[in-house]
Amino acid sequence: MMMKKREACFALMYDRGSFDHYWEGTNLRTNETIATVTRVSVMPMIAIGILDQLNAYIGVPYVKTESDEPNGGQLQGAKGFQDLTIALKYRAVHTDMGPGKFSAFVASGYAFPITNYLSDYRPYSIGNGTQELSLRGIVQYRWDMGLYLRGMGGHLFRGQTAAERDYYYANGSYYTRWMDVPSAWEYNVVAGFWLFDNSLKIEGTYYKMQSTSGDDIRKYNAAQPTNRVIFDQINASVQYFSKHVKGLGALVYYNQMLNGRNMGKFAGFGVGATYQFSY
Amino acid sequence: MKKNILFVLVSCICAGIFIASCDNHEMPRYAAYSAYEYSQLDENGGTWTPILLTGQEGITVDPPADVNSAEYQSELDEVKGLQANLSKKQREEVQYWTNNPLLRWNEIANELAAKYNLIPGPNPDGTYTLPNPATPEGPSPFPFAHPAYTCRMLAYLSVAQFDALITAWSYKYEYNRMGPSHYDDEIESAYGHSDLPSYPSDGAVVAFVSRDILKAMFPLEAAYLDERAEQHLGSLLWSGANVPSDIDAGKQIATEIVQIAKARAAADGMSKAQVNKVISDSIAQSAFDRYGWKWENMEIPKRPVGLAPFFSQVQMWSVPNVEDVRPGPPPAIGSAEFQEAARELQDHQDNMTEEKRKIANWWADGLGTYTPPGHWNRFAKEFLIKYKQNPLRSARTMAYMNMAIMDAGISCWDAKYYYHYPRPVQTIKGFKTILGTPNFPSYTSGHSTFSAAAATVLSHIFPAEKSLCDTWANEAAESRIYAGIHYRFDSEVGLTQGKAVAQYTLDKMMVDGAE
Repeated sequence: MMMKKREACFALMYDRGSFDHYWEGTNLRTNETIATVTRVSVMPMIAIGILDQLNAYIGVPYVKTESDEPNGGQLQGAKGFQDLTIALKYRAVHTDMGPGKFSAFVASGYAFPITNYLSDYRPYSIGNGTQELSLRGIVQYRWDMGLYLRGMGGHLFRGQTAAERDYYYANGSYYTRWMDVPSAWEYNVVAGFWLFDNSLKIEGTYYKMQSTSGDDIRKYNAAQPTNRVIFDQINASVQYFSKHVKGLGALVYYNQMLNGRNMGKFAGFGVGATYQFSY
Repeated sequence: MKKNILFVLVSCICAGIFIASCDNHEMPRYAAYSAYEYSQLDENGGTWTPILLTGQEGITVDPPADVNSAEYQSELDEVKGLQANLSKKQREEVQYWTNNPLLRWNEIANELAAKYNLIPGPNPDGTYTLPNPATPEGPSPFPFAHPAYTCRMLAYLSVAQFDALITAWSYKYEYNRMGPSHYDDEIESAYGHSDLPSYPSDGAVVAFVSRDILKAMFPLEAAYLDERAEQHLGSLLWSGANVPSDIDAGKQIATEIVQIAKARAAADGMSKAQVNKVISDSIAQSAFDRYGWKWENMEIPKRPVGLAPFFSQVQMWSVPNVEDVRPGPPPAIGSAEFQEAARELQDHQDNMTEEKRKIANWWADGLGTYTPPGHWNRFAKEFLIKYKQNPLRSARTMAYMNMAIMDAGISCWDAKYYYHYPRPVQTIKGFKTILGTPNFPSYTSGHSTFSAAAATVLSHIFPAEKSLCDTWANEAAESRIYAGIHYRFDSEVGLTQGKAVAQYTLDKMMVDGAE
């Protein structure tokens, strides 16, 4: 969970997800105008151990979206560098407790767009086009034999995004280009297992994100950054830490959304390579 | 050490919250203007030529009670009583409606257009069920407020408001009874001390006409419109602008005008604009026989009929025959001019810039919005505020602009279905766009015709704004090329077409007595 002081880890992640159903409000539907939408992202990121208890993270994904063929809309997808995220994680508690260890963390992150991508271009827009401040609390209990359980709760403070039109409808008229992107609560529960002398980690996650405000996608109409987005998702991952090449690791995961609101029902996978080193 | 870490963490969080809270751009829901002093009163406004009224209708408004009568005195007491007990909400309503409430009703109309501007999706079996005024609740709610529907809605609203206010003005200056604050110092006039006679109430005229025309156009919004009108009518008393008999007189006029407007609307041909597949196919076949091409909807599932093929047959306001303003044919598919236009479109998509993308989006006014006619109504509203036009002159501006926009729309739809020209996504293999292609043929561009017509009328009324209006119209026309949904000739010819149609409107304006 934490880099030690003067340790760093570089990761390159490839993520690919797609949906052919989406929730229009809470109504799950298809739409041949967009058919199946695929979103691919390539993200370099780095984790830095500032102290044993304090890590920093920086990452920026390159995202590309498009519909498959045939589709009725014939719309361009979108692509570009999305948001730069800078985060800090602080381990406040790390203590022996029974047959294992208990840890508690706080994490704070700040993300903002680094290109002028158009957020008001759903479902193809590569991001929300606004700044996001995240505050998370994490608790973990890890048994000495390798099993661990983790829980996270957090809040995502989001700002406004600039559309490229100065009238929009969201349960009423707005005479402005600025759209309020709803803030959200999020939480997850994780169960995992370390095997083979800590060289393999298998993990299952349940995640939910719930926006606290926003309007619903209107009937057979495009989504808008003002929408109230809610979804939950399960994720299964396997991470390998090489004993042969010092510092090298690999990661593969699969995820699937279960329920949602104003969201594409994504299913997808990711692969990544990691390299940990001292500096 | 721990203190340092804590400090770093806390200050990062604070910085983040601070940065995040900097995102507090205002998001206004309606125009921010207050009651203003009219630039002129138009004492002879009652002599202007109405659009629908012939003068034979015999609309009468009884003389008002004398200001010294007991009847009037008790009305003054009623207003005083209301003003003594105003709630916060009532004060807000007074502020909101202002002394040019026509602009607020225009905003309400545009908002309803945006609310109802949703295209029906397919049924599970791949067919489409279109809105039906006989069963407005559905399955698809009536109406689908597309540009043709919306420009017609705005035209009837504005024309009815205008004719009703001409009548009101005529009686105002016949009877010359002023607002209650003129006769009783204890009555506060929230809109200032106006020299405009208040009997009949122009605010009431606007409230009743707007409510009833919009109820006809948006039948599912009856309760909502009743509520808005109630607040407006209440604010006429709370503001001290009117006494109840002013409002009753205004209602008398409104009732007559609404009937006349509805009669024209019922017979203008709009009910036959959305044709069935048999007629739609024969329209396409005519074009195919004539030119060797025909537009087709490319959606999945395919829509069997385009949008309102017979909107071209709807009765125009100022142009005698739609053929009088029909442009010449577009370049043949495959011709050199066509290929150049297609190359330009592909080039824009291959080399999209943020600037072109923004222009395309700025003028899109597509599904879910107030449409291009609504956008120009917004510009008109802003000019009316800037130039402090009184309600009658505001109504005239809106009426003529919206009549020109509707005539331009009818002419545009005439060209679209006569020439039945396929859209770029149909003719250019593998072509992708940054805005969705609408469900009607290409030549000519609706944005271009609507915008040029509106710009022509607004430039005539506000000559200082001509350069700005022309820039807007040209950019709106260009935006469709960047979007990838129109060829250059669609937009260029559309601009010329819109201007030519609006000339018929100008010809009427110049002799109606207001200039």
